[in-house]
Amino acid sequence: MEQEEAERSTNIVASTSEGSDLDPIARVRKLLFRQILVGIKDGRFFLGNFHCIDKQGNILLQDTVEYRSIRRSSPSPTEQRCLGMILIPASCRTSCHVDCSIEEQLSLIQLKE
Amino acid sequence: MQSVREEESSSIDQEPRSCGDNSVWAHVSPLLSAACSDLNEGELIHGDNFNLFAAMSALEIMDPKMDSGMVSTFYSIDEAIESGFAPVPISSDRTVDVQCIIDIMDHLLACEATWHMGHSLAQTVFSCIYVLRPERTSSHALLHSFCRVIRATCRALVSVVSDARTNEEEDLFTMTYGLPFNGDEDGKGLLLLNAVEETICRQLRACKATSSKRRVFEELEPLQTNPQLEEGFCKALLCRIRFRKHFLHALNCMRRPQGRGLELARKHIAYCIAELESVLSSVEFLSLETVENGKNEMEESTTGSGRHPIGFDPNLNKRLSAPTPPRAIKLLSWKKAIDYYVKLLHNLDQICAFKLEPDLDAVLQFVVQFQKSRPDLVARAHLQLLLVQDGKLYGRDTFLTICARSLALDVTKNHGLHLNEYILQLNQLMINLLKILCANTPWQRRKLGKILNDWSIFNVQMGITVGHMMQQVTTPRTPKNGDKSALILNHIYGWLEEQIHWVALRFLVLGFDLKLYSPSEYCMVYWYMYIILWKLAEKAHFRVLIIVHTEERKAKEEDYSRDMAREDRISLWVLLLKCQTSLAQGLTVMIAALRNEGMCSKSQGPFNTENEKFVQHFGLLQKASLPKYDAYESFSESTCHARLDYLPVYECFRDAQKMAKEIKVGYANDPDKLAEVVGLEQVAEHNIIAVNLLCQDRCLKVSFEFIHHPHFATAVVRRS
Repeated sequence: MEQEEAERSTNIVASTSEGSDLDPIARVRKLLFRQILVGIKDGRFFLGNFHCIDKQGNILLQDTVEYRSIRRSSPSPTEQRCLGMILIPASCRTSCHVDCSIEEQLSLIQLKE
Repeated sequence: MQSVREEESSSIDQEPRSCGDNSVWAHVSPLLSAACSDLNEGELIHGDNFNLFAAMSALEIMDPKMDSGMVSTFYSIDEAIESGFAPVPISSDRTVDVQCIIDIMDHLLACEATWHMGHSLAQTVFSCIYVLRPERTSSHALLHSFCRVIRATCRALVSVVSDARTNEEEDLFTMTYGLPFNGDEDGKGLLLLNAVEETICRQLRACKATSSKRRVFEELEPLQTNPQLEEGFCKALLCRIRFRKHFLHALNCMRRPQGRGLELARKHIAYCIAELESVLSSVEFLSLETVENGKNEMEESTTGSGRHPIGFDPNLNKRLSAPTPPRAIKLLSWKKAIDYYVKLLHNLDQICAFKLEPDLDAVLQFVVQFQKSRPDLVARAHLQLLLVQDGKLYGRDTFLTICARSLALDVTKNHGLHLNEYILQLNQLMINLLKILCANTPWQRRKLGKILNDWSIFNVQMGITVGHMMQQVTTPRTPKNGDKSALILNHIYGWLEEQIHWVALRFLVLGFDLKLYSPSEYCMVYWYMYIILWKLAEKAHFRVLIIVHTEERKAKEEDYSRDMAREDRISLWVLLLKCQTSLAQGLTVMIAALRNEGMCSKSQGPFNTENEKFVQHFGLLQKASLPKYDAYESFSESTCHARLDYLPVYECFRDAQKMAKEIKVGYANDPDKLAEVVGLEQVAEHNIIAVNLLCQDRCLKVSFEFIHHPHFATAVVRRS
């Protein structure tokens, strides 16, 4: 059971074959205004409220905080600063995670089944 | 769930927030990709509060012009230091070490000048690691003390500009967020620098000594290892150190309250200018060994030697200067930086030379004259702080006293008057006016236009109150002292009208400096100047009469010596105003005549009517009841019938010419004022000639140019 849940929680994927009752666009719409963590190519992370996404995958975040390492080598301490509204081009994005509670994740999982 | 968290934490090196018991980071990239592919072209997923226009202001990540967090050379200052970017000492070879330090000193001068010109400290002076981390250089006396004095100087200047609050117009100057700005409040930097200077002086003396005396100085280690270069390096270092020292001393002296340190400041400024000359002449020696890259490169170099300095990286502080875009700024060249400092020093000297007379006319004329050389922020901030301190002129005289003095009134016995609500408000208006007059020209003009309304309303309110008071004064039962207060207020009310017109005139005249008027608008501008000047001259003349009357009475009553010099000064100024009035009138009629006879362009354009242009330029004045009647109507009526052979045109210019000749005698000892009057005279003369020519031949072309005076145009006549 745990393993199953584990598999599901790593990938919230739209699988129409699994018979989800909401399409991907609607599910992404539900993620709006939530905190998302976007990683980019040079190793920095941006945590902000999900504001907008376009067809190319460019993301707009609001009230963003930037996290960066002080040294090239990892592990290294990070420092942070506030940026406000930012645009992350799809080309430099490497990862994208949404902060959700376990319960929410479960309900999100349920959404796709 | 445990395995989930571990898996996810490997994909995020350092999580900003560790997953608590109740939250996880869920990977959503595939979901986003799926949603994106389902979207139509141009479609967005956004919430109700989304605004495309607002979204345009988002910072784009990885765009070098917007993303100040982008990694460039080093991840941080510490990493730069660890990679040997700013070694201490710079080189184990003492000759190279000295060369590099001189380069650092020169580059810092260029950085400072660039900062003064409007950039942030973070990208200029504090782009130097030696200045950012002063504790690292404590083993190297010269570098350490120099950097400390630099920081103390920056702190002194930021303090001046912040106190003057001129940074509303130039915001980046005072930004010190995140920079190690404090420390050295004890002035130890100067002491250390003095000690270093002393040592180098002895080293210079030692190397100049003849061989027979060399034995005496053997125990003193030379500055560097090459004896042939010793003298050159010592001199190059000494003039730079001395400049720094005297500059900080000058700033400290100028900050002393009530202008007590101005004389001493002048001495330090004179040393600074002399040392800068030595600094410039050290270029020949310093650039001897540099491979000539070409004249352009040397001109653009930020150091005297032409080499790049060690230990500077403007990107290190990129993230601190958040409001400024992370664009690279262009530093002033070293030579231009020295030119800037020479100009600054001359401006500061001008301020220090000002005799702090409690005479408002003198203050206003000084500020106007000072602004003609277009001084920069630092000089203007110093002037403002000198003039307005603790709500008083020079921190010494209340504005009531100053105002009364310009009317030859004695207010020392009327203690209650200082607390009168009108006097308090007048105080505030005067302080505000002086601060505005010290600002940069565009900002100054805008603010002057705005305060006209405040002054006008205050004038009306005061007029009503004073009117009531004066009615009571006529009854026999009021006490003598009560009389005096009412009378004084009455005089001040009259004086106030004069000041309002002075402000209005300054507003109009600055329009010429800022090139806000097109030639087709000169007619209306000169008309407005004419009516304002006329009223101003009338009010000023009235003030002279009051003064003369008061002084004559005092001279009769007691053993009192009249200040004839002051009376003459104001009378001369009134004559100057009358001369300018005639010129303005002459120009109005002349341009109107030319316009009516089709010989020059009308002020009606394809987009605005003449009335609309009139309101655009003079709306603020009309709103402040300057004049009280409908200005445009009056302007149209008075100019629609003007013709070239209309006699008053000649009369105006002839009157102006006559008056100018008289005024020149009075200003014989004041070169600045004399130059201006000569200019006015020439404007009058040339315009008379032009009118004569144009009367004879209507086919000639005429244009108006500011050849003889910056505000009064001369008609230039051409065949075609």
